[in-house]
Amino acid sequence: MQRSNSEPHPEALPAFITVLSQPLPYFGSRPVNGVMAAATLPSRRSLFRVAGLAGAAVLIPLSGCAGHAGQQNGVTTLRFMQNKPEVVNYFNQVIKDFEALNPDIRVIQDFNEGNFVPGLVRNDPPDVVTRGFATETAEFVRKGIFADLSGLPVAKTIDPKFQDLISSWGQYKGHETSALPFSIAAAGVIYNRDIFAAHGVAVPTTWDAFIAACETFKAAGITPIYGTFKDAWTLRQGAFDYVTGGMLDVGGFFRDLMARGANIPQSAPESFSNHYRSSLPKILQLASYSQNGAASKNYSDGNAAFGKGQAAMYLQGPWALSQLVQANKDIKLGTFPLPVTNDPDQTKVRVNVDMALSITRNTRKRAAAERFLNYLLEPSVVNTYNEKNAAFSPLMGAPAVSNPHLRGVAAHVAEGRYYQGAGTYFPPSVPMNNYIQSFVFNKNGEQFLTAVDDEWRRVAERTAV
Amino acid sequence: MTTSLLPRRSARVRTKRVSSREGFRVNWWLTTLMLVASLTVLLPLYFTVAMALKTPDQIGTGTGLAWPNPLNWENFAAAYVATNFPRAFLSTAFVTVFSVLGSLACSSLVAYAIARNWNHRFFRGSFVYLLSAMFIPFPVIILPLIKQTALLGLDNPAGVVFLHVLGGISFNALLYIAFVRSIPVELEESARIDGATTWQVFRKIIFPLLAPMNATVGIFAFLGSWNDFLLPQMMIADPALQTLPVVQMLFQGEFNTNYSLAFASYLMAMAPTLVVYILAQRWVLSGVMRGAVK
Repeated sequence: MQRSNSEPHPEALPAFITVLSQPLPYFGSRPVNGVMAAATLPSRRSLFRVAGLAGAAVLIPLSGCAGHAGQQNGVTTLRFMQNKPEVVNYFNQVIKDFEALNPDIRVIQDFNEGNFVPGLVRNDPPDVVTRGFATETAEFVRKGIFADLSGLPVAKTIDPKFQDLISSWGQYKGHETSALPFSIAAAGVIYNRDIFAAHGVAVPTTWDAFIAACETFKAAGITPIYGTFKDAWTLRQGAFDYVTGGMLDVGGFFRDLMARGANIPQSAPESFSNHYRSSLPKILQLASYSQNGAASKNYSDGNAAFGKGQAAMYLQGPWALSQLVQANKDIKLGTFPLPVTNDPDQTKVRVNVDMALSITRNTRKRAAAERFLNYLLEPSVVNTYNEKNAAFSPLMGAPAVSNPHLRGVAAHVAEGRYYQGAGTYFPPSVPMNNYIQSFVFNKNGEQFLTAVDDEWRRVAERTAV
Repeated sequence: MTTSLLPRRSARVRTKRVSSREGFRVNWWLTTLMLVASLTVLLPLYFTVAMALKTPDQIGTGTGLAWPNPLNWENFAAAYVATNFPRAFLSTAFVTVFSVLGSLACSSLVAYAIARNWNHRFFRGSFVYLLSAMFIPFPVIILPLIKQTALLGLDNPAGVVFLHVLGGISFNALLYIAFVRSIPVELEESARIDGATTWQVFRKIIFPLLAPMNATVGIFAFLGSWNDFLLPQMMIADPALQTLPVVQMLFQGEFNTNYSLAFASYLMAMAPTLVVYILAQRWVLSGVMRGAVK
């Protein structure tokens, strides 16, 4: 009845009425007259109908998968977080095999590592975790995020010298085993066998021989070392870690440094200025054997160029091998540890714990998580993984690596002649990559050492208890 | 009437165009400039399509500009399987559809309430309060938010929708309020005289009149929620409910990137945006322009 009173706006009404008949908000130009509205409306309306149907179609299946996690019919669901998207398929297969043997456990693989800290915050962390083991993971260990695994039977199958790589970062309560190594990566100098053979260069075992090899290549017009300085991390893990690790006792240095706490004047024997000065000229010398324009090349440029044989050597770890082979199937590669001194017995190789397994302390499914972890550390699982991914197995009595690319460093790893890269000891709050990059560019060693000392002191003061 | 009107009109337009072409001079400088500018869109798109159709061997060779031969369509199938595309797509679509609907509904209601009660100090204050939310960077509050949403059982796509709607209110209300003010109050008064309630006035008079702004807000909400990475990555606890942008991380390792699969997957994720744009192009453009002027 009252509607009939609304005649005062005769022209406005038809437009409103057409609008009101829309099931969903109607966007677009307001019709200028009835003709245009009549011509365009049906298509819009059908579009909205499609949108509405799509929305409904989305709702129905999603409501079905809400209550997935947790325990259903006696089956325990574990969440396994691993941070290497490239090996998702391998672990999917491992999980399938594990579930076949353990029908009462279901494992969900989660490669979204960004969800680890949120998981801790909401007190719903993943049950089993693998991470690369360095500063950041050590920080979690110090806070007691991970459970003690020393009682597990598999813990005794791990080679103690590899377990030491983890405990060197500090143990929770001084004795707990918070992580078991799963995969050890050994990084050295990747070299092109064909280029070495063509110029009659043997794998150098001393610094002088290495420099002589670089000069030989330079004289022949070949880039000795392919530099990718645009990605600052490649300078840190390459030139910086290799030179410092090869000539200094990096592990001991950081042990002393951390023992001193925040109270480190630059003149102290534990300071970077004192300790690292001798290594700087060699870092610059290494960098000087790179091609022109290395500053504008990044890691993937380097992989493509080195794969095509544009340089004799490449300071990268085993993770680059698959990329190099992808760029050139026929490339013949080898790896040798960079000799930084003239005593071949002193030569060491850079290693890092690429994957370490942990169980979170707060998990409510500890028993199932331990069974899964035991399975992951069975020789067939862990050795196969490392064989496939150009890495070293941490198990005692693991078979020797058959990967021809790694033979040059296998002996050093087996004999324990290795170090963890100095760059990995820095917390993320020290922009070490950038400091090293600017040192290589402006060659001011004094400024570099002062900056690193200052940064370390600042962070130590901030985090001191 | 319609049939008699339309042809005549288009005929007139055609003759006008032909006549203008006779004295038409091409501005070659401007044309060249626009062609170059269009490359900024077309070139990345070309790379995306070309990369998605290459085998790993083809990616390693040449400059990257070459069109792959033969075409490798299997990348799409492999990416589809690897990301469990249908599931991730549904999850993303769920987040997007409800974020858009929620943003439209909530922001316009808030804006209407504030704009029409401007003389009350409380509403003016709440406008400033909402605006001030724009000054808080999202990463600062993310961890407390995660804790809170977990307590409320919102660590899933529904929680992401909730936060998208909530987070959008300040900016969207800003747009809407300016627009509501330009609508004459007399329209509402006449509806009141007809006996309409406040809700009826909003639903039947104001909301339809907000159409251009609805388009703008809808587009922002759509793009924002479809492409969002950080919020779903941190919020959604169950990996099976994860959205497309997060799942696509699968192709990017720390030291290696599977370019062909990644780009095939990006293209599939982009497809709905492109299809919606092609279908709704006319309204999108007019909506954006209206929003820009107001």
